[in-house]
Amino acid sequence: MALPGRATMDFFESQASARRKTALLVVLFSLAVLLTIAGVYLAVVVACAAAGKVMQGWWHPWIFYNAVAWVAIVILGGTVYKIIDLWKGGSRVAELLGGVRVHPNTTDAGEQRLLNVVQEMAIASGVPVPAVYILPQEKGINAFAAGFTPQDAVVAVTRGCLQALSRDELQGVVAHEFSHILNGDMALNLRLMGVVNGLLVLALIGRTILDSKGRGRSRGRSKGAGAIFLFAFLLMVVGYIGVFFGNLIKSAVSRQREFLADAAAVQFTRNPGGIAGALRKIAGWTGGSLVANPRAEEASHLFFGDGMKDRFLAFFRSHPPLRERIRRIEMAYPEAAPGRSSAAGGGGDGNAVSEPLFADAGIQALAASVRLDPERFLASVGNTQAPHVAYAREMVTALPPAVVEAARDPLGAQSLVFCLLLCEKERTGEKTKDWEDRLDPAVGREIARLRPSAAGLGREHLLPLVDMAWPALRNLSKAQYGDFRVGLQRLIDADRKVDLFEFAVRSLLTNRLDAFFGLAKPRRIRYRVLDQVQVEVFELLSILARQGSRIERDAGDTFQKAMEALDAAKSHTILAREKCGLSLLDKTLARLAETSFDLRKRILNACLLCIVADRQVTIEEAELFRAVAENLDCPVPPVIPQTLPAAA
Amino acid sequence: MIGALVLLGLIVAVVWIGVSIYNTLVTCRNRYKNAYSQIDVQLKRRYDLIPNLVEAVKEYLKFERETLEAVVKARNQAVQASAKAAGNPGNAEAMKALTGAEAELSGVLGRFLAVVESYPDLKANKTMLQLMEELSSTENKIGFARQAYNDAVMEYNVAREKFPNVLIAGPFDFKEAALFEIEAAEEKKAVKVSFR
Repeated sequence: MALPGRATMDFFESQASARRKTALLVVLFSLAVLLTIAGVYLAVVVACAAAGKVMQGWWHPWIFYNAVAWVAIVILGGTVYKIIDLWKGGSRVAELLGGVRVHPNTTDAGEQRLLNVVQEMAIASGVPVPAVYILPQEKGINAFAAGFTPQDAVVAVTRGCLQALSRDELQGVVAHEFSHILNGDMALNLRLMGVVNGLLVLALIGRTILDSKGRGRSRGRSKGAGAIFLFAFLLMVVGYIGVFFGNLIKSAVSRQREFLADAAAVQFTRNPGGIAGALRKIAGWTGGSLVANPRAEEASHLFFGDGMKDRFLAFFRSHPPLRERIRRIEMAYPEAAPGRSSAAGGGGDGNAVSEPLFADAGIQALAASVRLDPERFLASVGNTQAPHVAYAREMVTALPPAVVEAARDPLGAQSLVFCLLLCEKERTGEKTKDWEDRLDPAVGREIARLRPSAAGLGREHLLPLVDMAWPALRNLSKAQYGDFRVGLQRLIDADRKVDLFEFAVRSLLTNRLDAFFGLAKPRRIRYRVLDQVQVEVFELLSILARQGSRIERDAGDTFQKAMEALDAAKSHTILAREKCGLSLLDKTLARLAETSFDLRKRILNACLLCIVADRQVTIEEAELFRAVAENLDCPVPPVIPQTLPAAA
Repeated sequence: MIGALVLLGLIVAVVWIGVSIYNTLVTCRNRYKNAYSQIDVQLKRRYDLIPNLVEAVKEYLKFERETLEAVVKARNQAVQASAKAAGNPGNAEAMKALTGAEAELSGVLGRFLAVVESYPDLKANKTMLQLMEELSSTENKIGFARQAYNDAVMEYNVAREKFPNVLIAGPFDFKEAALFEIEAAEEKKAVKVSFR
């Protein structure tokens, strides 16, 4: 099996495949539970026989039923408990493993570099910038991503990773982790942790009994105590059989995903030298990729490299061998071989992207009316490519430093968001009188300070800046977030009408932050068939068709085409223009967000049809699409203003 | 048999609830510690700014050596106090010391600014203006981060005093956390540096 030259990653496809893996997980888990029950049953029978009870034959229903009940309680209890515990998301896992949160406004150069790399990757792939953790005690080179959804994802790297890797290599590692985020591996991995924990509990109980018996041994031994001792020993043995299955399941589910993530890392960065260099450094590093934290065992499948000491059988590894991973990358990309790689020597922040794709873009000069290439736009959805990463990096560097710095601090970040909205309102001549009166004076001062730097920003920078502000906004306290939310809503409503940019900002921020601060319930999938959401689809496509057509009378055609593409009932005609307000969109999207991934894919495709119908994608349309996709929890890379030679 | 199962169920439930409470408390504690490190970042920034400020005005304020020395001294004391607080955020003693040192520093800075007011040359100095601007923005951020910290501490303290959480908080040593308050009413209006 060779590494595919390019890991073609359909976001929806890989989500579906992750779900299939979950089904496999359930089967293997059930099998493990059954075998463990059999094991416990045998253990009890043997222990009873040893205690001198008269046993006839091997079949004792009473013991069997007990074994079933107890094993089921213990294993399921352990599993459910762990999953509930992990339900708090990625940050919980990071804290379990001793991670320390890196604040967006850190002054440490190495940490700042890591944050920059993560931020670029997030903007490039259209997922919310994840929280970043460092494992300060770990000297090996390793990293992991965890969380249930891209919204609560965290990325954590070891201290060794920060010290040993060059920027390119770090980028490779981070890209690998982002692939796990985009592929839906994270939720799968957390469930896996729960299952393995359940299987581990038996062994722990056995060992605890054994320990306490060992200590109390001097108080004389009866035959019963000996039997309990034997039982505990057997329980431990059976428990380790459970652990054995746990590892088997882990490796069965996770090893292939690692190859996929390696391939994706190359796709994101177009720099095979980066990830290959990181893998080679692990091979040559004294600590390798070892993770010392005792809890690392249960999370070993999350890591970038194998976190555990050598396992005696390759069968149990949660990761493919390093040499094999390096070999596959080098086979697909000969330039990644040592000596030929630009990354191998390492280097600082300066030499990041090996191909300066947008060196001459003059991004700042691009006006908001830039027309975008529909074909390229269609291809970019859910499919991060190296140019997106390069573009994100280029864009962040081009931003005024005052603005970038503000985005890293909770106070600055919220002031920045207000500022962007105010500037946009100024441009369109909307009134915001009295709005500032009810603001926290600190926020008011900060807005005044930022206003001049924010005024010159191009439209294409605005949403990425909102993305950049989001990690810092998570450091608000709940009360502060409440104030921010009220302020945001008041600003948006100042003119009693929601325009496109305002809608996009609100979608990006309140959706994510409400969930983060526990103000909104996590979404569940309720609708799997188009018929259940037909009205909503009809409304959504009407709005998009109106927005996406330059000429008024084309809108009807566009709408019909999009409905046909969905196989929706043809009886509908497009909604009247005055009804196609953005306020309707909120309600519509809230319901559509509860559709299955398969359905969402079809709906988003129909939306795209609407937007590219006139063979042009404007920044406004791209923003609208981004807002829709964000509401449906689908990551969309940023729109790259067209800098390639004009299509023939 | 059934009795044993019920007993087991009860034990499991109690342990489960206990562990959940413990986890909640740990989460709350992490949250306020995190919030403190937000303050710490900004405090450090301010402590770094002050020597630069003193350096920039030295030339002009030859006859105000006392004021400058007082600023430097107060700053150094605040650095020490904040280092202690960062090592153990929420500790009542450390937070009190920090509050005191910060109040002292704010007071001295206020006097220093009053002095600056009387030197027109200095008021027009570009470096000085820039540093002042940065200082005031940092003050702003400190105030904001302190509010976030106090909110988080409040949440933690409530979580730890609630029943049945208090049964877990005691034995597992979840101590009450202290707020980061501003001492006197007059210091509450941060240092006023917007002289124009």
